[in-house]
Amino acid sequence: MQVSLNLGCLASGDASAEVVNAAAARLSVFDEPAEWERFSERKRGESAELWESQVLVRGMHCAACSLMLEQALLASPGVVSAKVSAAMQRASVVWSAAHTRPSVWLSAPQASGYSLSPAVDTLASDDLRAQARLALWRWLVAGFCMMQVMMYAFPAYITEPGDITPDIAQLLRMASWVLTLPVLLFSAKPFFANALRDLRQRNISMDLPVALGIVITFAVSSAATFEPQGWWSSEVYFDSLTMFVFFLLTGRWLEQRLRMRTTGALDSLLQRLPDSVERQVPGGEFVRVAARKLQVGDLVRVLPGQAFAADGRIVHGHTHVDEALLTGESRPVARPFGAAVMAGSYNLSAAVHVRVEKLGQHTRYAGIVSLMQQAALEKPRLAQIADRLARPFLWLVLLAAAAAAGYWWPTDPARGVMAAVAVLIVTCPCALSLATPTAMLTAAGQLAKQGVLVRRLQAFEALAHIDTVVFDKTGTLTQARMGLRHTELRPGVSATHVLGLAAKLAQHSLHPLSRAMCEAAVYEAGASKVRSTPSCAAELELRDVTEHAGQGLSAVQDRGEIRLGSATFCGLTSAVFDSQSAENGQAQVGPHVFLSDASGWLARFDFDEIARPEAAAAVKHLQAAGLHVRLLSGDGSAAVQRMAKQLGIAPEHALAQCTPQDKLANLQALQQRGHRVMMVGDGLNDGPVLARADVSVALGDAVPLAQAQSDFIMAGHQLEGLAGLPALARRTLAIVKQNLAWAAVYNALCVPLALMGYLPAWLAGLGMALSSLLVLANAARLARPVLSRAQIEPSRPLKST
Amino acid sequence: MDILFLLVPLSVLLALAVVGLLAWAVWSGQFEDIESEGQRIMLDGEQDAVHPPS
Repeated sequence: MQVSLNLGCLASGDASAEVVNAAAARLSVFDEPAEWERFSERKRGESAELWESQVLVRGMHCAACSLMLEQALLASPGVVSAKVSAAMQRASVVWSAAHTRPSVWLSAPQASGYSLSPAVDTLASDDLRAQARLALWRWLVAGFCMMQVMMYAFPAYITEPGDITPDIAQLLRMASWVLTLPVLLFSAKPFFANALRDLRQRNISMDLPVALGIVITFAVSSAATFEPQGWWSSEVYFDSLTMFVFFLLTGRWLEQRLRMRTTGALDSLLQRLPDSVERQVPGGEFVRVAARKLQVGDLVRVLPGQAFAADGRIVHGHTHVDEALLTGESRPVARPFGAAVMAGSYNLSAAVHVRVEKLGQHTRYAGIVSLMQQAALEKPRLAQIADRLARPFLWLVLLAAAAAAGYWWPTDPARGVMAAVAVLIVTCPCALSLATPTAMLTAAGQLAKQGVLVRRLQAFEALAHIDTVVFDKTGTLTQARMGLRHTELRPGVSATHVLGLAAKLAQHSLHPLSRAMCEAAVYEAGASKVRSTPSCAAELELRDVTEHAGQGLSAVQDRGEIRLGSATFCGLTSAVFDSQSAENGQAQVGPHVFLSDASGWLARFDFDEIARPEAAAAVKHLQAAGLHVRLLSGDGSAAVQRMAKQLGIAPEHALAQCTPQDKLANLQALQQRGHRVMMVGDGLNDGPVLARADVSVALGDAVPLAQAQSDFIMAGHQLEGLAGLPALARRTLAIVKQNLAWAAVYNALCVPLALMGYLPAWLAGLGMALSSLLVLANAARLARPVLSRAQIEPSRPLKST
Repeated sequence: MDILFLLVPLSVLLALAVVGLLAWAVWSGQFEDIESEGQRIMLDGEQDAVHPPS
């Protein structure tokens, strides 16, 4: 078998080869190409067939492990690249389908003590449960044995020498020894396993000092128990040993729980999709099938309270949905007949039938998830520095422990041993390497809840220092679609009829104005539903619908030809209307569309850009936060100035008729004057400008998420999320700095104390556990909301007639 | 005080027995779902314990 052959070369000893083979056999179910899609994504635009897989990692306790695991993965043939995140316990692996199979590279790191499993929902949760049980069991054993050992040690603390007969004292020591064994062999096993693995890799990690501390304490105490007359000290430290193992395990356990909670936003996103759906079979009945079996074009029924499994369109019924995690919109959104629904959103009010349009990796949901996974794998600059410092620091600790033992030993062996153990236990490079990623990931999770996705964690650093915000206008401050502002009618024609007719014609075209027309008609129909007049337009038969590029649409109906389009296309002179509207005192800004039938002019539709309803509030809030807000637009000056006035941007800061080069030059000029600029655009036309800005934000509804090249993406169209962004970044950076400062101060204080022998081992264990926890708890403060929706009053939307 | 030579080893055995009990509790999922057991009484379920007067 090819698999085992490959592995033979990788694994060094027979024992590890066995482990690897067993793992490969277990993982071979993932070699089916049909299974790959469940945890992988095909890389596009590559000549060879490359897949990128998401993987859960076990056995990783420190940042240094991630480097080793990356090397182990890369050593497996066929693996192109590997990125590992210690904070998330996840990895992302790119591999070539022509050269390897998932089971091969998944089992390769087994030889170095890491176990990998593909991030498929069910398997991962089984795995996690067994892991959680084992951790709890280890912790309980340590805790219970600690209490009992303390009981046996108690008499020795309260009695004067000679109060207890030597044989009783010896009995109590033996009893302590027996109950320390489970703690040593079982509870502390993770420390030993990790330390051994690191040694084998000729590496050093924070488990090594801890394991050394445990071994030394146990060896010295055992010697004193069985040979009290030896040259070593006659003291036993079983109580200290069990106690610090217990404290360390407590710390790890709480750390794990906190970590799960802070990265919970990502996990709750990942577990959004249902496992099974009700699909319509040819007979018309609905049968429950696995969600993986769905295909584009299937009809599924979704009951209230269920999540949609795929992107699709409602073909029966109407409902409200909750899209909070996808767009940040916390209120239920109405989804009438014909509206699109997104995978991962929840159906709230009524059962609907949905025609599946997009599945799996092609859904917007999958795009969001993969973005968040990418961001979580990135190491911010500060974290990289901390990781680099951790290793020499550990060497220093080992040397210091040896020095302490050597210094005290001649005068007071007991003190020497305990000083060395305390130094080994108390140092905590973990706090150092956890400081940055935990804070930034928590902030990213918090933003995700508001509908803002973070592409680069590093951007938080720049974001905290910005002083200028530059907006693009079209599609950023305004909605991507035009709104119907005004309708001018031929006397004696019904508005509903005309709109219905126009929409019926317009639905044959993809031109933005046509789509705006359709939407306006749907909106009108919804508003007039109460009256429930059957629209005659609906019954009209249109034949020979033709689209004339750049001019309009024409069609034939019973009473002759009708045309929808520009004035000239409809055979009209616009002069009439211009004078007419001049009388009405209406400034002409947006484009017009005309509708004519055989007898001439029917209606004129005036379109206009609609400002996003929350844009004014967002701008106001940014200004209140002391930021300069500017507007750069390629549009005409009148439209830009009007928008600037409406949003409260000073006229001199709103520049019109900018080409992309102008925008770039303007941005660079700002930066040369010392401003730090955040650019907000739709990510479509302003790519270079976004790339040049210190921080870039793209609005995610304009482009496919994966293509937006910006630091942040507003997944919804919720500009108000923007207002809290700089403040959150500043808080994040402040917390990172606090964490780093705390880790430095803690180590600087405790190591000298331990060296001097003032720190008992149990206190050292407690201190180390607390120092890591404090860092995580501090980061968890970011999970509290900065800005509630109530603080920003959305302005009234521009009303269309 | 000779009784201690019996009692202390016994206490060790007892402690090991409790550790075994904890193992059973952990691996049979006793700590997995602490919330919902307390709420179960609030739910409508089988009514076999309560017979309405007929």
